Amino acid sequence: MKKFINRPENIVAELLEGFVLSHPNTVRLAGSNLVARAKPKGPGKVGVVTLGGSGHEPGLSGFVGEGMLDVSVAGEIFAAPGAPRCLEAIRLADRGAGVLFVVLNHSGDVLSANMTMSLAQREGLNVKKIVTHEDIAGGPNPDDRRGLVGFLPVYKVAGAAAEQGRSLDECLAISERMERNMRTLAVALTTATHPSTGQLIFSLADDEMEIGMGQHGEAGTGRMKLKTADETVDIMLQMLLDDLKVKAGDELLVIVNGAGATTLMELFIIFRRVHQVLQGKGVRLARSKVGEFITTQEQGGFQLMIARMDSELLSLWDAPCNTPYFVVP
Amino acid sequence: MTDRIGKHEFSRMMRAAASLIREQQPLLSQLDCVAGDGDHGTTMLRIMERLEAEFKEDTAADLKKCFCDAGWNVMACDGGASSSLLGAFFLGVGDATQAGISSWNCGEFAATFQIGLLALQSQTKAQPGDKTMMDALVPAVQALVTEAKTGNKISDALPAAARAASEGASATEKMVARYGRARLVGDKTKGHRDPGAVSVALIFQGFAQAMTELKGDATHARHG
Repeated sequence: MKKFINRPENIVAELLEGFVLSHPNTVRLAGSNLVARAKPKGPGKVGVVTLGGSGHEPGLSGFVGEGMLDVSVAGEIFAAPGAPRCLEAIRLADRGAGVLFVVLNHSGDVLSANMTMSLAQREGLNVKKIVTHEDIAGGPNPDDRRGLVGFLPVYKVAGAAAEQGRSLDECLAISERMERNMRTLAVALTTATHPSTGQLIFSLADDEMEIGMGQHGEAGTGRMKLKTADETVDIMLQMLLDDLKVKAGDELLVIVNGAGATTLMELFIIFRRVHQVLQGKGVRLARSKVGEFITTQEQGGFQLMIARMDSELLSLWDAPCNTPYFVVP
Repeated sequence: MTDRIGKHEFSRMMRAAASLIREQQPLLSQLDCVAGDGDHGTTMLRIMERLEAEFKEDTAADLKKCFCDAGWNVMACDGGASSSLLGAFFLGVGDATQAGISSWNCGEFAATFQIGLLALQSQTKAQPGDKTMMDALVPAVQALVTEAKTGNKISDALPAAARAASEGASATEKMVARYGRARLVGDKTKGHRDPGAVSVALIFQGFAQAMTELKGDATHARHG
């Protein structure tokens, strides 16, 4: 393994330290490895909290700040944080109007979140949970669909609604509508090393790619010979459009998320093809974002997300926010 | 030798279990590479070191507090599903333990661990056969209950539980994962044991080893 680290057991603490030091006006560390807004949200507004393993930077803590998350609970490398720290985060984010707890569908995160919810209810905290599961590689059953880069629009619309002073139930309903209308598919080209163990997290032959790869390199189902950018987009986008039942005239938000080792050069080539295909089908590309929002170390590949937007979701997506890795002026 | 199990015994048991997990850490991580992200060994070691610390003999805590703190702190280990589930198990054991008591007989031990298992089961729908830690944990706890009912001693019950856990873990080799992260790769998991089940089997193996050693110590003390 070739990585610039110090001691494997210090990775998370040191990366969080560096992260908040590099964005001192936006985020700070609070409690036990919680990333919180530098300036807490005003009283009477809904708090937005998320949890997730580390090693996926800038996800998820990179989106803490005005207009998005209030607190992010960072776990160990690729491992969900436990319920005790999630509970601490919810207490911290509670400004008197309740807290929306955004959970990406991965077994560890969901277990922690369920335990957190029962502890929070015992304490009388006002918390509502939303689980994102938009990875269509999991098959038709929503429980089998993982939460991938779709967390980004959910954080965005939930954070914007909370900032506008909407109630917890309204924030939840808006987030759920966003969640229901998004779909993601991932493809992997090359593997990554687990930064703590130094082991490769999967293997792929030099001339292969795998569609459906999970966020942690969990093996997918569609292993095939490497294809060109256009061929790969054509396969993935068609699966997404079919699953979301997109029709001509629909307005889409498209996110192309690099897995860590795939260059912006490639991501733009991919996005260009997405644009072509959608135009050909008469589908409107209303908004887009290309870059690295959630990564898996030096894994090669990308996630393609599409979401059907309505006017309210678009206006919340366009609302101002100020976080280390997502700024809308 | 009175047939009871208390902090002294659990302290030795946790130490022995932690040392087995430490030894087998590379194997556990390697098994996790089949369907997971290859860090199960590291995670389990973190959990076991936490358990070892909670049951240090020099702490003043009673059995209830030891198990409650162990559950809470294992949960706080950030070990994904493993730490949430094992944390729920120990917290359940702690909740079911009467305050102030310092040891259990075999029946109380089995009954309390059974409640721990129920607490864990309230967090997951996974059953034996789904290729998870439940394939080792359920038969292990069941063996404790059966041994206690037959009137056997703790020093016989723990080896029986260890055998049951180990058989359960071995049986996962032929199974297809239906729960947890591994379910997403299904058939590919066939031919490999489930890392969580192997960990639970190692823990009970450590428990049994420590109990056998303690029994040996007592015999030596009597005869020596």
